[in-house]
Amino acid sequence: MKTKKLKLSLVVMLVLSLLLAACSGDKTTGDNAKGKGDKIKLSIWHNYAGDDLRAKAVRKQIDQFEKEHPEVELDKQAIPVDGYRQRLKTVAAANEMPDVFYSYSGSFTEEFYKGNLIQPVSDLWEKKPDWAEKFLPGSKEIFTYDNEVYSAPVGMSATSFLYYNRDLFEKYNVKVPTTWDELMEAIKVFNKNKITPIALGNKATWPAQSSVFGVIADHVTGTEWFMKAIKSDGATFNDPQFIEALNYFKDLVDAKAFQEGANSIDNTQAEQYFVKGNAAMMINGSWAITNLAASSNKEELDKIEVTVVPSIEGGKGKPNTMTGGPGGGFLMSSKVKDKKRELALELMYAISGPEAQKAIAESESLVMYDVDIDESKVSSLYNKAYELVKTVNFAPVYDLYLSSAGGEAINQGLQELMLGGKPKEVAKKLQDAQSKAVK
Amino acid sequence: MGTTARLKGFIILALLPTLLIYTFFVIVPIFWSAYYGFFDWSGMGDAKFTGLANYIEVIKDEIFWRSLKNNFIIIAASVFGQVPIALVLALLLMKNSFVNRFVRSAVFMPMVLSTVVVGLIWGYMYHPQIGVVNYVLKSLGLESLTRAWLSDPKINMFSVSIPIIWNYIGPYLIIFIAALQNIPSEINDAAKLEGAVGFKKLYYVTLPMIWNTVKVVIVLCIAGSLKAFDQVFVMTGGGPAQSTELLATYMYNNTFEVYRYGYGSAISTMIVIVSMILILISQILMKRKNQ
Repeated sequence: MKTKKLKLSLVVMLVLSLLLAACSGDKTTGDNAKGKGDKIKLSIWHNYAGDDLRAKAVRKQIDQFEKEHPEVELDKQAIPVDGYRQRLKTVAAANEMPDVFYSYSGSFTEEFYKGNLIQPVSDLWEKKPDWAEKFLPGSKEIFTYDNEVYSAPVGMSATSFLYYNRDLFEKYNVKVPTTWDELMEAIKVFNKNKITPIALGNKATWPAQSSVFGVIADHVTGTEWFMKAIKSDGATFNDPQFIEALNYFKDLVDAKAFQEGANSIDNTQAEQYFVKGNAAMMINGSWAITNLAASSNKEELDKIEVTVVPSIEGGKGKPNTMTGGPGGGFLMSSKVKDKKRELALELMYAISGPEAQKAIAESESLVMYDVDIDESKVSSLYNKAYELVKTVNFAPVYDLYLSSAGGEAINQGLQELMLGGKPKEVAKKLQDAQSKAVK
Repeated sequence: MGTTARLKGFIILALLPTLLIYTFFVIVPIFWSAYYGFFDWSGMGDAKFTGLANYIEVIKDEIFWRSLKNNFIIIAASVFGQVPIALVLALLLMKNSFVNRFVRSAVFMPMVLSTVVVGLIWGYMYHPQIGVVNYVLKSLGLESLTRAWLSDPKINMFSVSIPIIWNYIGPYLIIFIAALQNIPSEINDAAKLEGAVGFKKLYYVTLPMIWNTVKVVIVLCIAGSLKAFDQVFVMTGGGPAQSTELLATYMYNNTFEVYRYGYGSAISTMIVIVSMILILISQILMKRKNQ
């Protein structure tokens, strides 16, 4: 009998310990408020968790702030990019936002605004006019809701650079396209010479939309129409101008602008394909600069030039336009007040101020800020790209503004077009998904 | 207390931990997920009760049916690809010679590779520009046969089936070899005396002797194919334009890419129902055969 009891208690202990292990979760959040002693507690969340130059530059600014403000007890959380959105969404659902946090521009930030989770920081912009005026056009606007600015941008994400291989253009005597017709002509010549005109790696489904289609669509429809269409406010994706935009994309496909099987290779493979001289052009985002600089030699890199995707005659969009803008910026929780707010503002300035912007720019990452950089510290390609973005107009990136269902619909739709689908059906699917998600 | 009763008590007690864990992590989530299927929920914020709307949408969703069809292609490829190949290899490699052991290990090798690695390797082999498949075809002068294996919707389901077949032959091979070695040697001797050799022996003696194993392998094949996800997810992600979407990838994309947790839950409930129906059918068919 004794042994049986022993056995029983053993089993019970085993079960309990297993259940306990399963239930004990990590419950640390960015909670703050009542600081112990005199120190003011401040929490900051960001996704500069990696080992790359940019992440190190940003973290250095934050550490610097901490050193200069001994009265602050700073709770810093560097969260890897992959899980960052989910972590923020989780604390947002519980209304436990960190005091200062990094957020992506567009609909992601808008959700926090709608949920009254963030507060305006317009006074920071007014207090430091020298700093404010150096931002590139469009920086402030993207974080403006109801005439109040909610952030200071720290990075730039431009999604539609037209990269081209200068050697190939010279060899086949092709003019670098500045109009749509010239682009189509260039495609024809390169195809005739068995060179892929435009490298595209669309396995992940977003590159065709984010880099190639977004800018074409903006050239055709103009930005204003798009901002209305996403809300089904006097414009829908069934409108003829959007069908026309899809048709322009289809023209590229029909002219065999992209290499065979573009839908089954990934973006990095396409970048390599381009930089090795197999393709004459590539429409890709600012991230490609860093990737190319890291993976190719100087000789290959020096051949590469950047420009904007040619505009379309008769289109409503502005010329010299690129999709993109501030990739993100730091926001402040609506709960932060008084002395703590002062310090939080200073923290935001420390990360987005001139010094920080220079440090980020010199880490080969584009910024929405006009600053003179030390050219010897960066690659030639980066320098060309930075000079270019200082002059362009920015248009919204499609999937930053569409709902996630709408983004998925256009991503899949563009792949369908590449497989011979009909523009009208693609437009209808996008409209259905988008209107259902925002209603 | 009798010994049997005490033994039974101990068996129940010993099973209890596993049973509890299984209930908490498998049974309960199935019902939980079915329950989430009644809501319009993005994974954060408030969930809105929408009744059967998600389930009706699943049934009307053409992509769902396409995914189901693709799953059936995988099932067919597994049952008619893996089982016969594994059986033939088992017959050839039954004897324990050095060469046989080497070939057996070679066939089993993909099984110990991570399925993600398998997906990546085959993704590169199928690569339209630098892939070895197109390269071999070109060097054989069969340039007309080269194509974008993973992006052409006419053939890509078959392209993704091949790595799956290759990946899982190993374990079935081992099961078959074990079954073949379990055939009593008297029966083989008797067959020899009666003059049954070659195909005759295979058809009248060997196959009937291992028929139960064959059936088990087929059930394993069906169950495994319904769960198919990883290789396809790595090779194509369900694309292009959802042409290689499987039930599991479709569920994943809806839940974690589009943030429609409610709809994703409804799909996974449908997967459970479809799987149960299939397993029920296979069970009934096998019972009939036994009688």
